[in-house]
Amino acid sequence: MSERLESLAQGLLALLTTTISAIGATLVGLGRAARRAWMLLLALVLIGGSGYELITHPPFKTLEPGEVGIRSNKLTGGTTEIKDGLVVVIPGLHELRRYSLLDQVYRPVRSSKANGEAPFQSIEGLSLGVDLTIRYAIDPSRLAAIAAKLPADINGEIVEPMVQGVIYKSFTRYSVRDIFSTQRGEIQKEIENELKPKLAADGIILRGVQMGQVDLPPEYRQGMEKLLAEELETEKMKYTLELKSKHVKQTELEAEADKVKREKSAEAAGNEQIIAAKAQEEAMKHVLPFKQKQIEQRQYEAEAEKVSRIKTAEGSAEARRIEATGEADSRHKLADVEAYRLETIGKVTSAQLERDGALISKNPLLIQKTMADKLSDKISVIIAAPPANGGFIGSALLGGGQAVASQNPQANAAQETQQ
Amino acid sequence: MMLAALALVAIVTQDSAALRAAPRESAQQQAVLWQGDSLEVRGEKMDYLQVYDHRRERGGYIRASQVRTQSLEPKDAPDLLAVVRFLRDTPGAEALGISYAAAYLKAAPAEAIGPEPFDALGTMAERLARRASAKRGKTDDAVLAAHLEVASSYGIGMQGFERDGRIQLCYNGEAFRRVLAMKSDDGQRARAALALTRPECVDPNLTPTDRNSLDAWRGDILDRVQLTNLPEYQKNRLRLRRAGVWASIAFERARQRQPVQEAANRALQELAGVNKEEIAEPDAAAYTDAAVRVAASRWAAEPEPATGSGLAVVTMPGEAGETCVTLVDAKHDQKNPLFKRCTYGLVWKASASVNAQQTALALAVQPLDSWRELWVFHQGEKGWTIDILPPAANTPDIGYLEFAGWVPGSTKMLAVREARVDGRFKRSFEVIRMDTMDVEKQADNPRSLSLFYRWQDPAWKRGTLSMR
Repeated sequence: MSERLESLAQGLLALLTTTISAIGATLVGLGRAARRAWMLLLALVLIGGSGYELITHPPFKTLEPGEVGIRSNKLTGGTTEIKDGLVVVIPGLHELRRYSLLDQVYRPVRSSKANGEAPFQSIEGLSLGVDLTIRYAIDPSRLAAIAAKLPADINGEIVEPMVQGVIYKSFTRYSVRDIFSTQRGEIQKEIENELKPKLAADGIILRGVQMGQVDLPPEYRQGMEKLLAEELETEKMKYTLELKSKHVKQTELEAEADKVKREKSAEAAGNEQIIAAKAQEEAMKHVLPFKQKQIEQRQYEAEAEKVSRIKTAEGSAEARRIEATGEADSRHKLADVEAYRLETIGKVTSAQLERDGALISKNPLLIQKTMADKLSDKISVIIAAPPANGGFIGSALLGGGQAVASQNPQANAAQETQQ
Repeated sequence: MMLAALALVAIVTQDSAALRAAPRESAQQQAVLWQGDSLEVRGEKMDYLQVYDHRRERGGYIRASQVRTQSLEPKDAPDLLAVVRFLRDTPGAEALGISYAAAYLKAAPAEAIGPEPFDALGTMAERLARRASAKRGKTDDAVLAAHLEVASSYGIGMQGFERDGRIQLCYNGEAFRRVLAMKSDDGQRARAALALTRPECVDPNLTPTDRNSLDAWRGDILDRVQLTNLPEYQKNRLRLRRAGVWASIAFERARQRQPVQEAANRALQELAGVNKEEIAEPDAAAYTDAAVRVAASRWAAEPEPATGSGLAVVTMPGEAGETCVTLVDAKHDQKNPLFKRCTYGLVWKASASVNAQQTALALAVQPLDSWRELWVFHQGEKGWTIDILPPAANTPDIGYLEFAGWVPGSTKMLAVREARVDGRFKRSFEVIRMDTMDVEKQADNPRSLSLFYRWQDPAWKRGTLSMR
């Protein structure tokens, strides 16, 4: 800051000196003006000229933010580093050089296309273009020391040759395939590592190297694309297969899940059935005691019925027995009565027969009369041969002799009695 | 004449018609034909037609009076349809009607065929199946078997299930499915839906999962019929069917721990929507059937009550599908319950009813979709015990036993029991002694029992379906 004030004071002092000397000259001139009016005119022209000069070429410069100025004194040969802001630069005495501290970018355009001006070469000797971006910045700490040595065009005179020297060499160590796809990061790192110290020596800090699009040689590109397409196919197939296997797996899992689900639902259905069956069994179990009770009830009823029937049968048998006894007694009595009756009748008949016998003995013709009486309503005419012995004409009918005839009245009498 | 006959088909109209080897009554009999058998006419001889029976692969002669010859030209289709219309509602002529319907479907051009022949075909096939399932004499067996065979030769599929020791035959409903798929009128749709959703045609051996999907399908089919233009008795039939189906759906949903109220309410609404004045006589049994089914799962419509401080039941899951019921009160919590019992049935906590002395609690438990038991927890001398009362002492089928009230100051309770026993529904209002669980008195009307009339529970009276 003091340096800056000092330079400002110096500037102002110089300006004052110049002005005073000019004014003094003018005053001297005025004194003589009366005499020499043209001298006045000259002085005015001079003042105007210097004024114009001051306005058109002011002894101040302004440094933008991010810029650093190196002012060198032509008289003393010393340099002063000035950061952004106002800086006094006396024309003819000072010289100011500006350096931007912002990051700079360098893109080697000539080598960005395979068919460009200066393509890179791969290890196979194929030309290829790479879109490179090198980002760098001037080291502000070393700027004051090296400013004198730095060329005006840092990009073209330091960075570009150095970068090219490194990248061309680097790319020749790799195949196109490496550069194109697999080794990108490595190449980038390698370039960075090689370039960094080299640029640092010149007070330049390498921020980074970016590799952009790689432009392949057309024939290689075609082959590569074909290859890639095939690889892609292979990859696709791989993924397809993977997908298929996953699909199979999924189906398997789904089937498994379905199976489990079915098993579960079958199990649930089975359980339901078991529960329903148990409920039914339970209901039946509750019915059974009542059924049992019903059966017992019926058994008791049957038992009672049996007892009642037996009792009835017994009663009826007893009654019959009593009836039979009564009947037997009654028959016995009846038989006795009959026997008595028969006996009495027999006696009566015997007596009658006796009486009849006696009567017939007395009157034998009574038999014939009786017979004739009996036959009289049935037989009108009896033709009989006259007995040979001149006896009773009915003797042949009566069957014989007197003995028979003598018995017959008795039998007839008995028959009559019975009738 | 011969040439004209060749384009004809002969449909046998009489049962036991003889196919003979020659056109003579004395000729050897080749086969016995039944009404509905169709024969290819190959010639005519005297009073006989020379025919070929493709089903039996046999040719012969049949008396011309025993068959009707029909041409299968498109122009004859209306005539055939007229015969189908005539035979549709003629009992005993199902095989013949099916045969004519088949002839019509063959003769009529595709674009002219509407839902009517399918409706008729289904109606006749269903009636044939019903006839075959009904109890009958042995003389009918041969005829029915032959008619079924004729029907099956026209592609009428029958399914058979064993139920109550008998075979139940059901038409598989192919024709009715077509009716539903076509642009049919409401009456046809109603008939088709009713035929496809008959409860007796649900295979009793279905697994619960299949049963669930079948019931969902039945509900869907019934919902597709518009009731607006139907006669009242048919509306009733559909409502009854819907009520039964939705009751089953409610039970199945409850089993799967899904929201159940909507389905149960739907069942109740459908039953309530039935116009009792217009129930046709054959539907009386269906009405009772539907009412018992809905009554069995009616508690599904009630929200679960909050447990109070007194005697109450708390449920918790036991083993898979099992629910454990614990009886708790103010002094005994769930960890130290008064009584615990586990069941595979559905426990309707909303039905729990406690007597005034806090010594008994009645609870409805439903083990099957149409079978609800009554559990009675009661305090005896030896502590708490449980008695489980089934609706009937037969194989669990259709029925419910419902708590109807406590008789104060005694160990008696009121209950109503309704169940199907030997194919007939029986309903009785009972007074049950709680110490022996014996029925002390019973009547078919609550008014006939003074105890019942006096002490019935108002909540029961409000919700029961036994007083329908």
